[in-house]
This record gives sequence, structure tokens and C-alpha cells, in this order.
Amino acid sequence: MERPIRIALTKGRLEKDTVGLFESLGFDCTAVRDKGRKLILPIPDGNMEVVLAKANDVITYVEHGVCDLGVVGKDTIMEMRGKFFEMVDLGFGRCKFALAAKKGTDFYSGYGIKTIATKYPNVARTFFEKKGMDTEIIKIEGSVELAPLLELADGIVDIVETGTTLKENGLEVIEDVAPISARLIANTVSLKMRQAEIEKLIKMIEEKLR
Amino acid sequence: MKYYDLITPEGTKDLLFGECVARRRIETTLMETFRSRGYKEVITPGLEFYDVFNLNSPYFPQENMYKLTDAKGRLLVMRPDSTMPIARIVATRLRDAALPLKLCYCQTVYRTEPALKGRSDETAQAGIELIGSDLRIADLEVISTAIDSLKALGMEFSLELGHIGIFKSLVSQLEATPKEKERIRRLIENKNFPALNDMLDTFGSSAVTGALKKLPSLFGGEEVFEKAEALIPDETALAFLDELHGIYTAACELCGKDGKITVDLGLVNKTDYYTGLIIKGYLQGHGDEVISGGRYDKLISEFGCDVPAVGFAVYINAIQKVHEKNGILPAEEAADVLVFAEEGFEVEGLKKAQELREQGLHVEMALMSDAESAKEYAIERKIARIAVVNEESEEAE
Repeated sequence: MERPIRIALTKGRLEKDTVGLFESLGFDCTAVRDKGRKLILPIPDGNMEVVLAKANDVITYVEHGVCDLGVVGKDTIMEMRGKFFEMVDLGFGRCKFALAAKKGTDFYSGYGIKTIATKYPNVARTFFEKKGMDTEIIKIEGSVELAPLLELADGIVDIVETGTTLKENGLEVIEDVAPISARLIANTVSLKMRQAEIEKLIKMIEEKLR
Repeated sequence: MKYYDLITPEGTKDLLFGECVARRRIETTLMETFRSRGYKEVITPGLEFYDVFNLNSPYFPQENMYKLTDAKGRLLVMRPDSTMPIARIVATRLRDAALPLKLCYCQTVYRTEPALKGRSDETAQAGIELIGSDLRIADLEVISTAIDSLKALGMEFSLELGHIGIFKSLVSQLEATPKEKERIRRLIENKNFPALNDMLDTFGSSAVTGALKKLPSLFGGEEVFEKAEALIPDETALAFLDELHGIYTAACELCGKDGKITVDLGLVNKTDYYTGLIIKGYLQGHGDEVISGGRYDKLISEFGCDVPAVGFAVYINAIQKVHEKNGILPAEEAADVLVFAEEGFEVEGLKKAQELREQGLHVEMALMSDAESAKEYAIERKIARIAVVNEESEEAE
């Protein structure tokens, strides 16, 4: 007997949304809802098991094939990249990457190199590389909005949901970088070796989302 | 003050004892499979000029190669692949050799992998290159060799086939810039359905965009061909599909029950490298391919010699990992006999050991001064027999 299909879920909101989606498909997610401190949880009637992990780790586990599928935000995919199939846009967890700066500044003016603070250095670098702009990128772990306020950076590249945090700190969006939503990803070998099971699940999900 | 004298660089590791036995056994199995089919081994230098890998088509991103300079300041790389050096050999020393050439190799390659991802920068690969034939029988010979290799390794496998021509002729009908075509290719390769659909929608709705959208979902068995025939509007692409169908049917017959042959029309990796057939091999329980190859008829012409070629490489480290995971590990080999020579009988002892070796036994010399420590050593190393060489020369179990 092969092991159940293993799905890594990004802990938190994406996990809740995915469980909601699975329940609407008729799967029994009781074990996932009453998880306690367990990190691997069965969905018995789907011959699946859920693994709860941090966003970056979802990609790592799927890339190595120790999890067959994963639910992770496009933000993490853009930052981490990697070798996997990006099968379905799940539609939830919607927000965007945006470039923001202090309200009223003309960000693109002048010839000086801009300094960008971000939690997503790869996303920021790619964005400015495409524009042919040299920038200095500084990685910040916590509230990125602080960096322009403390005058460490000219702008930030960060996830924007409602824009409230920006507004409250006197920042505004200069330009959208990319839209974000949750994605269902698959290991490149698992999809082939367990094609029937995975395709069935994806079909159910796509029909539900339609 | 030294910091790094006790560790190995990231992405490299030492192999000890049983690990070496396992590695050599896989290498021998593969090389024997190749040799038994007439492939002749070549060994290429670990160091090559950067130019060998810096061709018109950027097959290898420069940031993935280990670079150094020679004494004259010329740029060198640690060989990131064996196919380019073999193409170089074919275009130079084997320029006048009778075709087709059947070559094989078994050597390490070096690529910089992202840190902390559990990947190796130094990996061993064994593979074949069949040079100078563009016939269907050459494709089948290579597939058959791949099947035999996987069978010889003794695990449940799946061999996947694709044909780059299908994608190429479809995408050539789009009015798209090379950059856009490359983006479409990448989205198909990653089976990124949402972004692929969005991207192709910008080219309007046509039979071609419809087929391209479906391409990454066309994988599996026999049923794929029927679905694809209904979808593909283009004669050239259909001809390639038909060619692949024939090869697939033949491969299924060659494979038998030990493995599975599948197709994936969304296999579009390295389009400027491959020109026809694409091959990938998978093993149950390993998250990445263990075989990769295909037909690359334009590569050797980059070295000034226009001959077709087809081949594949087997990723030995990956196979070893799967073997370890499944407990297929060779036992550490203990010697059969330990010869202990008393002081003054060293020459007799060494001669005795040689005699026993000639009988086909593995014989170790004891390198201690008293019989008691020799006995302890034998127990520790699981050596069943001790031969003591002294005046009366006895033997003990």
C-alpha cells in the first residue's frame, strides 16, 4: 500500500482556507481542525494527509518530493522559486506585491541609486532588473514600513492587502509589482507517479472554484 | 588561524566504506549495461575551458558553473556536464571516425546549487551518447538502453518520453517575440496553468493557443495521443506526434512489466538543446528525475561538426539515495582471513597471506605485536578466521 497523498499547507490563513475548500468537497477534516500540536494529520476518506508547515518549507518539502502537493502563496513562490509544477490558482489569499514610498515623493526622479527595503529581496531585485535599474536592496525581517520612515530606504517592496498600514505610516503605493494568491503546487515526479489520484483531486478543486 | 580545515565545501561530501561499495556497484552495473551494447568509454578532463560551455545557445547559465583560471589567466570551469566535452571530442579527435559512434562515460560533474537546499554541487553521472544517426532505430536503441539500465538497477521505474517538435511547431505559429516564446515555454515546463492561460489569452483565441494551453496537461499513457490528435491543428506538429506515438508503442513493448512507459507532451525543457525526442526517468520514492536525455542534433555543430546525436545521463547520487532509502545497501565487506605473523615471521606471514589471496580470499595482515590484540581486531572487524604464522603455524576460527 502506497502512503497517502501528502499535502503541505502553509500554516495560518491559507491552511484555514484550504481546509474550508476540502470540507466543501466533502472531505472529513476533523483531524486537521482538532490538530493540537500534531504536524501530520490524516484526511482518512481522501487517502490524504496534511502536513502543516511554514510557507518556505512547503516549497522545500514539495521540491524534495516528501510532500506530493502543497498550498502556498504566489509571494513565496516568486521569492523562493524552485522546481515544481504550479497547477491551480486557488483564488484565496489574494493581495499584491507593491512598491511604496513616502507619500508625495517622486520615487523615480533623479539619478541616484535607490535603496529598497524588503522582506522579498529576489522579488525586488527582479522587478528593478526588468526596468534596468540598479538598486541597493536591504533585507528587513520585521515591519518593512519602518525603513523609509527611519530614512534607511527610499522605498519598500512588500505585500499590500488593504493599504491601511501604508496609509497610517504616511506611505503610498508607487507601482504594483505583481498580484498574489494561493497556489496548489505539485512535485514533478509525484504528479506522474500518482497521476490518477492527483488529477482527480485537482479536477474536484477546479470544478468547485469555477 | 584556519577555519575550514575540518569540513568539506557545501554541496560536497566524503563517501566511506559501504557508501563507496554502493556507488561503485551502481557505476559498474550501468557501465556494464552500456559496454554490453557496444558503447566505448571516454574520460574527459575535470577542468575545461569556459568556452566549451559558453556556446551560442546558453545551455549552462554562467552562474551555475565553478570557474577558475589557468596559469595564463584563461578562464576554466569545473566540468558541469559531460555531453559538451564529448561533443568537443567528436568534432576534433573523432572528426574522421566512422559513424555512428557509441560513447559512454561515468564521471562527476560540478554545478553550483542554491545553498541549504539539500542538493549536491558534485554529482556522479553515467551516460551514453549515440552520435551520427538520426534514424528512429537510434532513438529506440537509446530508449532500450535506458530501460535496461533502470531494470539492471532493480527498482520500480517509470520512463517518460516527449517530443520537443510538437511545442516548437505550435509556438512558431504564434506572432510572439522570442522572449514571449521563452516565457510560454517556461510556463508549459512548470505546468503553470493559471499564468499560461493568462499569457496565451493575450494572443487571442485560436486552435493554436488552445492546443498550447492544453499541452502541459497532456501526459500519461496511450490515451494522451488520442486527446492530442483532436487538439493539435498543425500538420507538422501532428507528424511529430505520430512519430512519438510509434516510439512510445515500441518502448512499451521493449519495457515489459518491470517498468512503466509514459508520455508528457509538456516536456519542453532546454528547447535550444533538444531537437526531437526527450527522455526522463523516475523512481518510486524519489522527488526528482534520475535519468534525463534526448536528441540534440544541433549541439555538435556548435563545435563545427554537423552530426546528429542522442543520449542520456543517469544521476548516480539520486539512485544511491533511493537505494539507501529502500535499504538496498551492500554490507560492509569484511575480510575472510586475518593473518597474524609473530615477530621474526613477517615474511612468512606476508607470503601466507598472498597464498590465501590466490585462493580467492580477502586477506588482511594483522598489524599488532601480540596475538590477543589481533584476535580483538578480528572480532571488531567481523573477520571469521585468523591464521597465525609462527614456528608451528596454526590456524584458528
